Amino acid sequence: MSLGPAATGAVQAGSPHRDRPQTARTARAGGIDLMIRVGAYVAVAVVLGYFSVAAHGFFSLSNVVNVVEQSAILGILAFGMTLVVIAGGMNVVSGGIDLSIAANMGVCAAVFATSINAGVSDPVAVALTLGAGLAIGAVNAFAVIGLGVLPLLATLAVMNVCIGAELVLTQNTVISAASPLISLMSSGTFLGISVYAWFLIVASALFIVLVQYTRWGLRLYAVGAHREAAHAAGLPIAKYQAASYVIAGLCGSLAALLSVARLSGSSPGANDNLLPVIVAALMGVVFSRRMVPTIGGTLLSALFIGFLANGFQLINVSSYWVNGVQGLLILAVVSMTSLTKRAGT
Amino acid sequence: MSDAKGLKIEQTKAISLVTKAAIALALSGGVIAATTAARADDVPAGLSLKGKTIGISVVGTDHFWDLKAYQGQIAEVKRLGGTPVALDAGRKDAKQIAQIQTLIAQKPDAIIEQLGNVKVLDPWFKKIRTAGIPLFTVDTATPQAINDTTSNNWEMGEELAVQMVQDIGAKGNIIVFNGFYSVPVCAIRYDEMRAVLKYYPDVKIIQPELRDVIPNTVQSAYSEVTDILTKNPKKGSIAAIWACWGVPIEGAAQAVQAAKRDEIKLYAGDSGPDDIKLIEDKNNPVAAVIAQRPTEIGKTAVDNAARHLNGQSVPSFTFVPTIMVTKANVQEVKDKLGWGL
Repeated sequence: MSLGPAATGAVQAGSPHRDRPQTARTARAGGIDLMIRVGAYVAVAVVLGYFSVAAHGFFSLSNVVNVVEQSAILGILAFGMTLVVIAGGMNVVSGGIDLSIAANMGVCAAVFATSINAGVSDPVAVALTLGAGLAIGAVNAFAVIGLGVLPLLATLAVMNVCIGAELVLTQNTVISAASPLISLMSSGTFLGISVYAWFLIVASALFIVLVQYTRWGLRLYAVGAHREAAHAAGLPIAKYQAASYVIAGLCGSLAALLSVARLSGSSPGANDNLLPVIVAALMGVVFSRRMVPTIGGTLLSALFIGFLANGFQLINVSSYWVNGVQGLLILAVVSMTSLTKRAGT
Repeated sequence: MSDAKGLKIEQTKAISLVTKAAIALALSGGVIAATTAARADDVPAGLSLKGKTIGISVVGTDHFWDLKAYQGQIAEVKRLGGTPVALDAGRKDAKQIAQIQTLIAQKPDAIIEQLGNVKVLDPWFKKIRTAGIPLFTVDTATPQAINDTTSNNWEMGEELAVQMVQDIGAKGNIIVFNGFYSVPVCAIRYDEMRAVLKYYPDVKIIQPELRDVIPNTVQSAYSEVTDILTKNPKKGSIAAIWACWGVPIEGAAQAVQAAKRDEIKLYAGDSGPDDIKLIEDKNNPVAAVIAQRPTEIGKTAVDNAARHLNGQSVPSFTFVPTIMVTKANVQEVKDKLGWGL
């Protein structure tokens, strides 16, 4: 990760003997940063450009809306994951991560579908669903911050609890659900764009404002990236980190509403989304100026993953390739991030 | 084991209330004439798919049956000169929906959908039809499909039961696995077996019937059959064991062999490659199984789509004949199955 302007200044103000090599190294690091950042955008542009030429109708409004719809669940889950990573730091072992977020969606979808089937009205069912998601987030927060368990382990345990709870509720079968809200979400449109796609558009806007343009968002970054400094500045680190898990829990339940609308009920297999969510949240880093997780970057990653699957299908390349390409992307991102870190130290 | 297990799970999902209605219709005889007319091997020459794109959407290919039917479709589309857009959803409903959504935008000449969850898929089937794309299905009954190609489970159940009654001389006690009566295909095979037994009063089903389970099917069948054999130690007190699919029979065969009760014969209403190997083994008590022909089913579904696209009419259902495999014919029919055995 880049040292940032303040840190660079501090180095330059140091010993004159070390001045030149450090500056050169920092400049090189900055150069690599820039290369990666530009490289990421260029790579995306090249891939999308190729699809737009090779695949008929790739950039048509309907296809773009299709991809936005197909990316909505992934995007919203990945926003939750991004918040947790921002607040907990990017260390792979000890940093922030919420492995329960996809399973959370599964159990929340089961709650939504079963409560609708139990004859509960839409608002009450939504409240129950969001409540379940928030509760799961709160359990994560308690385990990580209250008990001090590594996020990786705490959320892994909660993931298992969620998977178990979903199985108990659904008996591992599909639970069909139909209600006015579900029909509105699955087939309603506004300004020619489906309600489903609007969900992602509005959620993206809200999260971008919250994380990138508010004092709360700035402090969230401080808590994750510069823990000691944030502590010294008097920020309540625990509260910020706890909030990130609770909001991630809420994201799980919001995605559950979308999932029920999309699949006409609750269907097993929600946890299959976990790896794509991690990919989207981590890959988003290459789209940020300072190589940190951002909502915009995560959104771009989620859409890029969606466009890849869509584009490959449109040009009739086997869907089996998409998994391989996703794997290569993760490898590229991780290695590029490590490379910059090494160059920057 | 996975093939039969997969088949069971998928068929559980695939066959809904809609199927029951279709079954009733088929039973009424309306489909029988159409069935004969649409047998697998009589595709008229010149049913070209040249210049046509056929979308193929399957929920997964991790089971033997699913993979063979999927490959059968792709190969047939290519053979008839068409371009397949083949999509495997990796057993993920959400992925299959996304693939179908994009497929609709691609406007293929027809879409063939194989298995998957009817409750989840139904709204998307409607969208396919609304987009004016003809829909065909493989082993998935839905009123949205122009044709559903599948096996004839009534015939499978009846044929196996007749063979069993014949083999045991129309008398004796039989052990029956009936854990999946909720699965329509198993219910059909079971009911057909009972219908045959009705006319052979000396053949009695030991009560209570056994419950086959998923998972741990083989282990559970082994211990359940061992218990019954212990309770009925006299040779000849049990004549046969019946199950609607192959996997419990694999466990039952092990139990029969372990108890050295070679007089007992085993029957399965569906099978995978492992079951055929048991039949081939002269010392194994498995006497007969019914084998579906998934490759042929996939091929036939494509042929039906081709017929429709060439202006011919197709029946609502096409039943691809199954093959009963016994110790007597196993070598002869192995190749015919198209399983690559």
